[in-house]
Amino acid sequence: MASNISPSALDKEQIFGMAEKEMEYRVELFNKMTQTCFKKCVDNRYKESELNMGENSCIDRCVSKYWHVTNLIGQLLGSGRPPM
Amino acid sequence: MDKSMLADLDSLPEADKQRMTVMIDQLQIRDSLRMYNSLVERCFNDCVDTFKHKSLQKQEETCVRRCAEKFLKHSMRVGMRFAELNQGAATQD
Repeated sequence: MASNISPSALDKEQIFGMAEKEMEYRVELFNKMTQTCFKKCVDNRYKESELNMGENSCIDRCVSKYWHVTNLIGQLLGSGRPPM
Repeated sequence: MDKSMLADLDSLPEADKQRMTVMIDQLQIRDSLRMYNSLVERCFNDCVDTFKHKSLQKQEETCVRRCAEKFLKHSMRVGMRFAELNQGAATQD
């Protein structure tokens, strides 16, 4: 069967596979960021259904820091250096 | 999931576009179900502590509603900030 698959078709399969993995990664990153920042920023007594000013500020900063941590760890892992 | 993924599909041949659309739809369904499950777990854990009754009490129901509403608003806000970061926009500290 291998001889029936053209090289370009094989490349396409790899591209689709990579695209799917990339999308899954982004969705997972968003989910973990959302869960983490909710836990850190939102008062779990739920006195009202609106996010208050402090919670909103915290969420914005949390997202930014989480993003930077993701990039930082990505660099450290990608560089091949053992974590210090 | 953000719409920018869908915008990139326009340049693809029809069959590939169809395949990518199916992939995104499946991912979206899976993601929605996962969010549903995790939201139930979170709000239950935060709002239900006593088991003197088997039916949900008024206070518990109010808490669950607020928990869910707050999470959905939170998720929307995170989505906006996430999109900004993806576009490389500078944000203030």
